[in-house]
Amino acid sequence: MPLLEIKNVSKRFGGLKAVTDVNMSVEAGEIAFIVGPNGAGKTTLFNLITSVHKADAGQIVFDGHDITHSSPHAAAKLGIGRTFQIVKPLRNLTVLENTMLGAFLRTSSPAAAEQEAAKVLQFLGMGKVMHLAARGMGLPMMKRLEIARALATKPKLILLDEVVAGLPTVEALKLADLLKRLPEWGIAAIGGVEHVMQVVMKIADRVVVLDHGIKIAEGKPQDVVHHPAVIEAYLGSKYKELLK
Amino acid sequence: MKRPQVMIGTVIFAVALVIPLFLHNDYFLQVIFRLFLFATLGLAWNLVGGYAGQLSLGHAAYFGVGAYGLALLSKGMSPWLAIVGGVVLSMICALIIGSVSFRLRGPYFCLATIAFTEVLRLIAKNLPNVTGGDVGTPVPLLFPHNSMRSFYYACVVLTILSFAITYWVERSRFGYYLMAIREDEDTALSVGVNTARVKLWALLLSAALSALAGALYASLFLFIVPDQMFGVEVSVEIAILPMLGGAGTLLGPLVGSIVLETASEVFKNIFKEAHLLIYGILVVLVVLFLPEGIVGTLNRKLRWFKAAPRTPFASAPPPGPAEESKRIPLPLAE
Amino acid sequence: MSWFYPFLQAVLDGILTGSLYALIAMGMALIFGVMRIVNFAHGAFLMLGMYATWVIFEYGHVNPYFGFLAAGALLFAIGAAVYAGLVRHIPVQAEFMIILLTLGVSLICVDTVLLVFGADYHQLNFPLLGKNFRLGSQISLNAPWLISFGIALLAAAGLYLFVMRTMFGRAARAIAQNPYSAPLMGINIHRVQAVTFGLGAAAAGIAGGLLLPVFYLYPDVGHLFNLKSFLMVVMGGMGSIEGAAAAGLVLGVVESLTSLYWGNEWALVVDFVIFILVLSFRPSGIFGSQRA
Repeated sequence: MPLLEIKNVSKRFGGLKAVTDVNMSVEAGEIAFIVGPNGAGKTTLFNLITSVHKADAGQIVFDGHDITHSSPHAAAKLGIGRTFQIVKPLRNLTVLENTMLGAFLRTSSPAAAEQEAAKVLQFLGMGKVMHLAARGMGLPMMKRLEIARALATKPKLILLDEVVAGLPTVEALKLADLLKRLPEWGIAAIGGVEHVMQVVMKIADRVVVLDHGIKIAEGKPQDVVHHPAVIEAYLGSKYKELLK
Repeated sequence: MKRPQVMIGTVIFAVALVIPLFLHNDYFLQVIFRLFLFATLGLAWNLVGGYAGQLSLGHAAYFGVGAYGLALLSKGMSPWLAIVGGVVLSMICALIIGSVSFRLRGPYFCLATIAFTEVLRLIAKNLPNVTGGDVGTPVPLLFPHNSMRSFYYACVVLTILSFAITYWVERSRFGYYLMAIREDEDTALSVGVNTARVKLWALLLSAALSALAGALYASLFLFIVPDQMFGVEVSVEIAILPMLGGAGTLLGPLVGSIVLETASEVFKNIFKEAHLLIYGILVVLVVLFLPEGIVGTLNRKLRWFKAAPRTPFASAPPPGPAEESKRIPLPLAE
Repeated sequence: MSWFYPFLQAVLDGILTGSLYALIAMGMALIFGVMRIVNFAHGAFLMLGMYATWVIFEYGHVNPYFGFLAAGALLFAIGAAVYAGLVRHIPVQAEFMIILLTLGVSLICVDTVLLVFGADYHQLNFPLLGKNFRLGSQISLNAPWLISFGIALLAAAGLYLFVMRTMFGRAARAIAQNPYSAPLMGINIHRVQAVTFGLGAAAAGIAGGLLLPVFYLYPDVGHLFNLKSFLMVVMGGMGSIEGAAAAGLVLGVVESLTSLYWGNEWALVVDFVIFILVLSFRPSGIFGSQRA
């Protein structure tokens, strides 16, 4: 049985069909990526998985629980961690305190939470900035902090929304190396990416392509990038002709 | 990291406890009583407004219900039991007010808390058979012997209790959750915080402490009227104290109360009825020049005072590179 | 049919009161709509308008139906000054700081008036006050209320047209839609916001001047209207001036009917219960959609 199963899920906002009849599943320890242009429905899908929005139709099953009509905090308790595309650090707290917040999901003791948080921060190479206030951080550290907070909740699945967007390529690839090790911790991941394909090619086991809320392709990264529908979605039909 | 604040607090309380040994003037004791009473209310407000960032302008509701609870219930039971009853009533109010208003954000929340308090004030005014209406209602005297000094000690003990609770909250998971809610509610949800429930717990705690303060206050004056307990000025004062001292800090409400009550006492003799003028001027000055409050600013300026600032209401930082959403989209040439 | 005339009388009285409410609420809605500022000093501005008109009447013997113009001009200046001197320096995101700031301004206004004029109640005394205008045998409308009603309608219509039809109004609405891109279109955001704040305050000041002949005067009189204008602005859909105006008329009628059937003292309770219901179920307002 897959860890996460998304069955025929649809969501519309007024007249806008954000996600239409999407099917997808993720196995335990797998790294999947959802790829699609801006507005393809990636963030909406993440919001549906975490019940920030409720699906209009379809069903989402995580680890044997129907979470279609759950709530964001309950999803986190079941083991779904997430990062935000627009980073949302708790600005006035330190990096360590930010990460402890995640760890508090599994322990009520501040000492234990601190220990867990420090471990996660070491893994992400943030040991040195642990005691600095989050508000002074640059974007690369902010993105890592998002991941640290989510990892500290000890998730079974982590949703990484545009986790490398806006980063310099070197930074992005360094981060990708770290993310590739997530399965060692027994954590599956779904990444959402607009166009940093280098990272996707490097660490994705499987890629799902969304366009205007519709799944247009799925498969191994190497195969998907040559899929005609994908080329059309990204470059327009003119280029599809040219590439032939 | 909190040590300087705890130390200063301890010194203040120690001084407060020995004052009556030297000072036998009931008038001054009453002034200091009021100072600690509002420090308690400020500490109670701070749990919800300072740590959780839910800026209530209706805390007079819990203060007033505690007072009226004592006054009305003591007709049928011992006053001490009536205080407990008042606390329970106040928490029930908090449950109702919280479950409606916590769904609202920003100014809407603020307005909702005012509206609820006004409803309570009007109910107290309009039901003369139950509450004594506009005329008011008598309150039993809790400490018949050595009255002023007993009230004074009771109040200081209540403040110490509130201070200790705040200290505990600040170091516990609950406190982290409150701060997470203040900083970003979506983030708090994403790490599994049941934000609705956590906010409600904070408000219940805050309401209970406020109700105790209300009962104490009412019993000292032996008689209460609706405007005095539920008035908007009371709510405003409760909110201003911690903002002046430093919202979301342990020591802030205490410092705020010392400064504000002293100033108000001094100016009362100069401006007579218009003593709220000094509040107005102080509020404007604080907002313009000390948005983090006294303790908050010290936190930032003095390293030894505390490593990382936690005060919430500093002028929002300018949109940095991280805030993609706030960038102004540039029209691209097609 | 014995219930009908009292009912009709109450509705008509309610509309007369409501017209003044509408003007007050429009001022607040304008400020909220453009700047997202909940102006807690609005009631104090109204009170200042009343005192200004009263002073001009007592010492200059100017009829309040001319005096209100001076009150409007004075409050425009005060409003613009409060914006330029205080509000402007607070970042928009710090909502509670702005609420506190306007609260502070309100306290300063009220207590300064208290210091200067004392806490006594005042009421105007001039010949028009006792006159009534009779409609048939059962209905009578108080003459000063009728005049205030007429002027309030004119002022409200003028404000509406000014916001909807002029270049200034267009700039203000642009800021309401997007304060970040409005400056890129060449809008002097601070000047427009100062004028907006001034206009909002002027609406309160004019309403105060019109209220003076039919109400009594004391330093804290604004408090009551402050809370009511929050209610009207929320009902109207925060930031919609036409919604706020509609809410003002409805509120006037509801209060009048509550007074008729349940007694005067319950009118305010009904106000706040409506307020809480609206906030709980339709925080985006009942009248008109939220524009900004």
